[in-house]
Amino acid sequence: MRTKLILGAVIAVVSLATAPAAGQATAAAGKASAAKRAGTPPRTPWGQPDLQGIWDFATITPLERPKELAGKEVLTAEEAAEFEQRTLQQRNPDRRDGGSQADVGRAYNQFWWDYGSKVVGTKRTSLVVDPPDGRVPPLTPEAQKRADARTAVRQGPPRGPEDRNLWERCILGGNAGPPMAPGPYNNNVQIFQTPGNVVILNEMINDARVVPLDGRPHVPPHIRQWRGDSRGRWEGNTLVVDTTNFGDEPNFRGATAKLHVIERFTRVNADTLLYEFKVEDPATWTRPWSAAVPMTKTEGPMFEYACHEGNYGMFNMLAGARAGEKAAAEAAKAGPK
Amino acid sequence: MVAAAGLALAAVPAWAHHAFAAEFDANKPIRLQGAVTKMEWINPHAWIHIDVKKPDGKVEQWMIEGGTPNTLFRRGFTKNSLLPGTVIVVDGYQAKDGTQKANGRDLTLPDGRKLFLGSSGTGAPRDGRDPTEPKR
Repeated sequence: MRTKLILGAVIAVVSLATAPAAGQATAAAGKASAAKRAGTPPRTPWGQPDLQGIWDFATITPLERPKELAGKEVLTAEEAAEFEQRTLQQRNPDRRDGGSQADVGRAYNQFWWDYGSKVVGTKRTSLVVDPPDGRVPPLTPEAQKRADARTAVRQGPPRGPEDRNLWERCILGGNAGPPMAPGPYNNNVQIFQTPGNVVILNEMINDARVVPLDGRPHVPPHIRQWRGDSRGRWEGNTLVVDTTNFGDEPNFRGATAKLHVIERFTRVNADTLLYEFKVEDPATWTRPWSAAVPMTKTEGPMFEYACHEGNYGMFNMLAGARAGEKAAAEAAKAGPK
Repeated sequence: MVAAAGLALAAVPAWAHHAFAAEFDANKPIRLQGAVTKMEWINPHAWIHIDVKKPDGKVEQWMIEGGTPNTLFRRGFTKNSLLPGTVIVVDGYQAKDGTQKANGRDLTLPDGRKLFLGSSGTGAPRDGRDPTEPKR
């Protein structure tokens, strides 16, 4: 029977490297060291470093260093193996130890997820490299207020689609950036180059950024865009992409229109693209901060992620909220029991 | 030792395209057994349609929400991997709006085997810890 056949054997049919192999990138991730390590990358016919291809940035290395690992920057091989094992066990949605509320969130098993199963090759304990404690800097008081207000809205029944986040609304992808940070699936980005432009195409929500390299200024300040306005330039073998002009609600950790993102793409060897980003937003964080995400070359293919096409989830959330209101109104009309 | 206590992480919440808690009701657990009528292979989430025969003989049509087809594709699971007629058992939670939709907390075959089979090691498919897992 066909169904039985797929149960055991299907796993090997399509294989994708989902995590950087150990040792592909080195521990330090500052821009100077990245450029030094890069050696002579392959070049395009017109002489630019060739960053083209599909790159996979799935990893279970967390963005922030877990508090339990405070002071520990890099894991040994043994610790890394244990970290992977523990993380995967804790993420395993087959666990039944959380009660029904947790169960609802653990809606389907690990087969459906694509977090990757390895830490980054550097074995760093966080993707954040600056501040040195590996933690995202504290929010400013006003950003904390915004975050609390957002949480309150998200926890209640949605009044309309605007009460849900941009990813749920299929407007922007959760990991597509800028800046890109690994998520639960669709952690793939394809880079295309021409002499005058670079195109950064994320699998999540099919988001494409066309980045001019000709030195033109950013668009005027009154033009605000969901993913900002990106301009690129070459610094040695590193592609530097500067993004400003975000709208009021960038898709990154509660940042504001003041968000400024600087991304650096360096091909450190044939199979590794070192992706580094620095973010600043004085209305959100108490200081700028940076992270490094080694990406691994993959054959792909990328798949379409036409999020709006079947976003029944949004309909169901709104229908659920309206049903709840109706039930509450009827209960009120019936009076106390 | 870092290894023992140091790596005890806080539980990592599942992070889907959307919050299931806003869509499905934790107070409405359900168990359904039915035959697949179709698999809707759409983004952001696949939906499995099943016909559930009630004790009185009536047939109810239910929709079960899954994850992104992209991940299934990468694991080699295609639209043809779950053919109409296959009987599955769904343990999950019903939609808050009371319609016949549910999230598939556990999807199994009637004999108890998991429908979407991961590795036997950590719960993550292809994590290299399952000796029976085909090599890449």
